[in-house]
Amino acid sequence: MPNTNGNAIPLRQFGRHDVKISALGFGGHHLGDAPDEGTAVRLVRQAVDGGITFFDNCWEYHRGKTEAWMGAGLKGVRDRVFLMTKVCTHGRDKALALRMLDESLHRLRTDHLDLWQIHGVCFENDPALFIRKDGAAEALGQAKKEGKVRFVGFTGHKDPSVHLKMLATGFPFDSVQMPLNAFDAHFHSFEQQVLPELNRRGIAALGMKPICGHGEPVQKGVLTGEEALRYAMSLPVTTTITGIDKPEALQQALKVAQGFEPLQSSAMQSLRDRCRTYAADGRFELYKLSLKFDNPEARLSHRFPLDSQQVEVREMLKIADNSGHPFPPTK
Amino acid sequence: MLGAASLGAHGQSGAEVPKRPLGRTGLEVSALGIGGYHLGSANSEAEATQIVNEALDAGVNFFDNAWEYHQGLSEERLGRALKGKRDRAVVMTKVCTHGRDKNVAMRQLEESLTRLQTDHLDVWQIHEVIYENDPDLIFAPNGAAEALLAAKQQGKVQFLGFTGHKDPSIHLKMLSHGFPFDTVQMPLNCLDATFRSFETKVLPEVTGRGMAALGMKSLGGSGELVREGAVVVTMGLRYAMSLPVAVTISGIDSLDVLHQNLEVARGFQPLSAAEMQSIRDACRFDASDGHLELFKTTKKYDGDLGRRMHGFPSSTELPL
Repeated sequence: MPNTNGNAIPLRQFGRHDVKISALGFGGHHLGDAPDEGTAVRLVRQAVDGGITFFDNCWEYHRGKTEAWMGAGLKGVRDRVFLMTKVCTHGRDKALALRMLDESLHRLRTDHLDLWQIHGVCFENDPALFIRKDGAAEALGQAKKEGKVRFVGFTGHKDPSVHLKMLATGFPFDSVQMPLNAFDAHFHSFEQQVLPELNRRGIAALGMKPICGHGEPVQKGVLTGEEALRYAMSLPVTTTITGIDKPEALQQALKVAQGFEPLQSSAMQSLRDRCRTYAADGRFELYKLSLKFDNPEARLSHRFPLDSQQVEVREMLKIADNSGHPFPPTK
Repeated sequence: MLGAASLGAHGQSGAEVPKRPLGRTGLEVSALGIGGYHLGSANSEAEATQIVNEALDAGVNFFDNAWEYHQGLSEERLGRALKGKRDRAVVMTKVCTHGRDKNVAMRQLEESLTRLQTDHLDVWQIHEVIYENDPDLIFAPNGAAEALLAAKQQGKVQFLGFTGHKDPSIHLKMLSHGFPFDTVQMPLNCLDATFRSFETKVLPEVTGRGMAALGMKSLGGSGELVREGAVVVTMGLRYAMSLPVAVTISGIDSLDVLHQNLEVARGFQPLSAAEMQSIRDACRFDASDGHLELFKTTKKYDGDLGRRMHGFPSSTELPL
């Protein structure tokens, strides 16, 4: 969609670096929910035309499909965007991380990433496994040195204390991604516990889950999608990553982001107040309290049980499907 | 994995399961207790009855239950099994308001008494205090805390407590209200010792106040610790029973499991501090991400009634 109303999406500084990215980021996971590659490619193009420069992705999303589709969508416009993807070691080692990097670069049809992040830092021993000898931390350093990635960071959706443990490793992260919304403000709060620490250290803060992942509070009528996105974008973050799976979602997000002005503190407080009672038991933040948002790669690496109904597990099993009909057909 | 043989002997066969004081209540309870949920899971009522009878004969007198276990079946089975033997047992059940008010609690109490075929409970506990706003809801005006006091005043229950399996900080919030709880139930096992630990954060607070600590999930809730090779049954159970608790409540759904656990519990002697430390050390890595304590890290052990009252998806929609 061309930016016809003349209001660009504001650009914000990427942490301590002299680089600017759009205040709205394009979430990669939902791109894989688009009906086909053609639709996905069009969505990416429309997002670039609409002023989005930050593109999020991940090695394990939809078994690589979202990286491949985003790579196709960015063909010819790669240099106009700031491209991030994530590596899914989940505690495993450097060599695996570097193999995943090469796969991601291949799927995304590029020779470098602007940002490479450790995905799904959710379990309490992840920081220790990350920083150990031969751990993923060494892969980040090496990829940077080889020029395959410009900046490095990590992401997770579980617990502020795990994020703080990652920061305490002393590794020089350029960015940190976390769930930020008006419910989080009250409950196991990244906004309260992690965000100020990032701002203090000059690390780019990347917000995600502005509507709590799948929009449950919007469906329940606690707040509108627009209010939720405005709240998240008004926090001291570099960008807010929102999931985009269809043209309507893109239009809605662009409508908020183009010419965006942060909410006044009184408006922020009134949104927080409205969410307070729902936030108190975490019912809309299932990523903090359940395994729902933990992918099979993460669960298997940590020996947590899989849920056979989870989309990602079904996708994983589908790949292993035997289509050779080994059993005699039944009448 | 730690072998059973590496650390001392088992209990003494033929000896009774030892008794311990239930905090400051004046009651004495057996160091091993029978978990009510699994009584409802036993294959038949006959087997459940046999479990109760054999346990009583071995000196076990503590019986756990909850209003919501198996839609009342667990309480009914225990009630029938204890017919004529009620005075030999310390009967505890739990009220399942999950944030609802005093009236709901009092109605559930009457139902529990009827199912358990008794006119009083020895201990009545608030079940599944696992959501962060539960303490606020329980202590709100007209909340479940008022029901506990009313029931005690009416002589329908002797002692009061609460239980939960999620997070030490929620237990501490409950304790911060200064309510005269007699018992506090919590997960205690050799992995808990190093992960979101009730043993280090809650247990000293409870015993320090003279309250009785009731341990549960000694093997992870469904034997996860054993199945995944973190510890053998005997050692896991001995670890839990060696902590400063009044009783370790164990889920027993068959006579085989009862016999196995009684072998540990008869004439039980606590492990030494050095033995405890070596078990903790051996389990440290398995403990470090909580994948064997799924009651803390997933929704798996969170009941459907509580989920519904808190606006969470059901166990079918969100199994973990």
